[in-house]
Amino acid sequence: MLAIRNCGFSYRSTVVLDRLDLDLQGGEVLALLGPNGAGKSTLIRCVCGRLAPDRGDVRVVGQDPRRSPVARAAIGLVPQQIALYPFLTVRENLTAFAALAGVARSARSGAVARTLEGCELETVATRRAGALSGGWQRRLNIACAIVHQPRMLLLDEPTVGIDPPARAQIEALLQRLALTGIAILITSHELDQLERLADRAAFLREGRIVADDTPTVLLDRAFGAQRQCRVVFRVAPQAQQQLRLRVLGLQAERDDLRCWAGLIECAAAEALPAEFAGCGEVERVQLQRPGLSALWRMIYGTEPERAA
Amino acid sequence: MIGTVFRVMLLSLVRDRGALLLAFVLPPLMFLVFAEVFSGAGDEDLTLRIAVLDESSDLAGIRLGEALLALDGIEASERSVANRAELEAAVRDGRADAALWIRGRPGSDAGDGPWLEVLGDGSRALAVAVLSGRVQGVLQREFPDLALARASDLVESVLGPYSPAQRAALEQRLQRLSSEASVVERAPAALDFDQRLLGGGRAMDPGVSYYAAAVAILFLMFAAMQGAISLVDERSSGIVDRLAAGPGGIVVVVLGKGLFLTAQGLVQAGLIFAVAWVVYGLAWPTRFVPWSITALLAAAVAAWMGLLLAALCQSRQQAQTASAFVVLILAAIGGSMVPRFLMPIWLRDLGWLTPNAWVIEAWHGTLWRQQSLTELLPAWAVLAGFTLAAMVLALWLSNRNSLSK
Repeated sequence: MLAIRNCGFSYRSTVVLDRLDLDLQGGEVLALLGPNGAGKSTLIRCVCGRLAPDRGDVRVVGQDPRRSPVARAAIGLVPQQIALYPFLTVRENLTAFAALAGVARSARSGAVARTLEGCELETVATRRAGALSGGWQRRLNIACAIVHQPRMLLLDEPTVGIDPPARAQIEALLQRLALTGIAILITSHELDQLERLADRAAFLREGRIVADDTPTVLLDRAFGAQRQCRVVFRVAPQAQQQLRLRVLGLQAERDDLRCWAGLIECAAAEALPAEFAGCGEVERVQLQRPGLSALWRMIYGTEPERAA
Repeated sequence: MIGTVFRVMLLSLVRDRGALLLAFVLPPLMFLVFAEVFSGAGDEDLTLRIAVLDESSDLAGIRLGEALLALDGIEASERSVANRAELEAAVRDGRADAALWIRGRPGSDAGDGPWLEVLGDGSRALAVAVLSGRVQGVLQREFPDLALARASDLVESVLGPYSPAQRAALEQRLQRLSSEASVVERAPAALDFDQRLLGGGRAMDPGVSYYAAAVAILFLMFAAMQGAISLVDERSSGIVDRLAAGPGGIVVVVLGKGLFLTAQGLVQAGLIFAVAWVVYGLAWPTRFVPWSITALLAAAVAAWMGLLLAALCQSRQQAQTASAFVVLILAAIGGSMVPRFLMPIWLRDLGWLTPNAWVIEAWHGTLWRQQSLTELLPAWAVLAGFTLAAMVLALWLSNRNSLSK
């Protein structure tokens, strides 16, 4: 569906994309990750045909999106902003975007009805887009990008600024879309959501893909048998035990010496209650598989950015 | 696709009451206000371009013309005018704000009228009044014997006849003045002359057709700029991102907007002139074809200049500031706020660089001067040129922005 080979792009002397290779198949959900300035937006613009790479090749359904309307028609773009006509109703927005995406007049009402149903927007079909809540607007934002039945969907922060229930609904919508065979490329700072949603995660740093695989494989490769561990003691451990905890890789949480957390080997974590039985007494041990957030910290050395 | 963009713009406008009021109610109201306030306004400190026709075959006539043109605020628009038809044409076409027709020796009787006539277009009555005042001043300064003779007659009629000695002294003085200052004969009514306004004798106030045109192009520009700002909104909201990635690209979107804004401008212009027709009796329906061609070009030039400005601006705030600036400057220089003949000459010449001046020229020519299609062609050609240039630039810039944001 999407094939990027040796893609390079520079703004004046700044290299934004550097010999980048990436593939995306139908029905696959690819999470494109990276801090601000890593080149995500530039890459998406190249895929949309709005930027010409300085070198390399970008192909959508086998064609150059800059030159081929067929390639561009295969793309549905969901911008980060609410890209809707606020004075038009939900149905009118869908009709307008269907027409602008080249859906024939005879097929337009069918496409709109199908999209309304697929995105569960029928109940608000006659309401103006500008009067909808943030969650509904986000859903309509996606609906407008798929009304022409594209083969690939590009989503830039599709859940930014909405509450958890609305986010969950959009996540469910994207899962349903992926099942229809549409290829999805998504950028987001909601790493937990991406972990649930994405078949693959590609980490972008300084214009290059530095890790690209399924989240499971990436996390296994990065952390092996390590687990995210949180230990709560009844009484703060003594200085010697604190040293031992630090050696294991745990850190006190916010200067509270009763709570310690960090990445440690699974076996070592399981042995903690016995090891500290006589000193401090472990109240509970929580073990969790490290997620994309931990991988982010490992790759970029910073906390994951939060969406605005 | 263009039709879809048109429909989206139409629905957005129809459902935005503020925009509706701004687009269709405010312009006719403003026109009514401007027409009432300005059609009878005056100003004495202005520079006039005048045409002079001297048929007196007399040195005094030449002196009068030269003295007048030597004054500050008076310039010759026509170096040589052969006959009265040419003189009137210069006034009607707006090449001259007013004209002087010296028909005989100063103070003499030209047979079928006074020796001197000041002519002007009905839509520039103020220019005639100002020129008449300047002529009076020149006559009194350059031909003091005429002024003295007239004053002495007035004194005699009020206070009674002069004594023989007084009469002799007066005659002597008049003769000396005559030989020193002029070669004219003594005539009590020498300072009287005619003022005449051209304009076909229509009952309508000529200011109405001028201000209908002036207000129409001002509001066409204003509304088109506001409408075109939706392009900036759509860029910042991501709609342009979405559409530019589609098969039609951004060019289709901008073309659709241009078409809608042109149609909106046509309706606006129609409303303003309809009000002028109903309230002031403007001869709009009888000149509908040339009016429509001008209206189409005026609406198109406003639409594409608005879209060009929107393509140049990065944010709504920037576009709003820039549009207010551009609209007001074009309106001020182009004659939408104040008739251009009241402006300094350099500003009048600068005005030809604005579409406002050409639109006003074309509409005023259509409705007041009753110009033919051929006579209106130059203004239409200039407006078409403005439109084409703005359209090409707006499309190119929009496409470039969408590709390199």
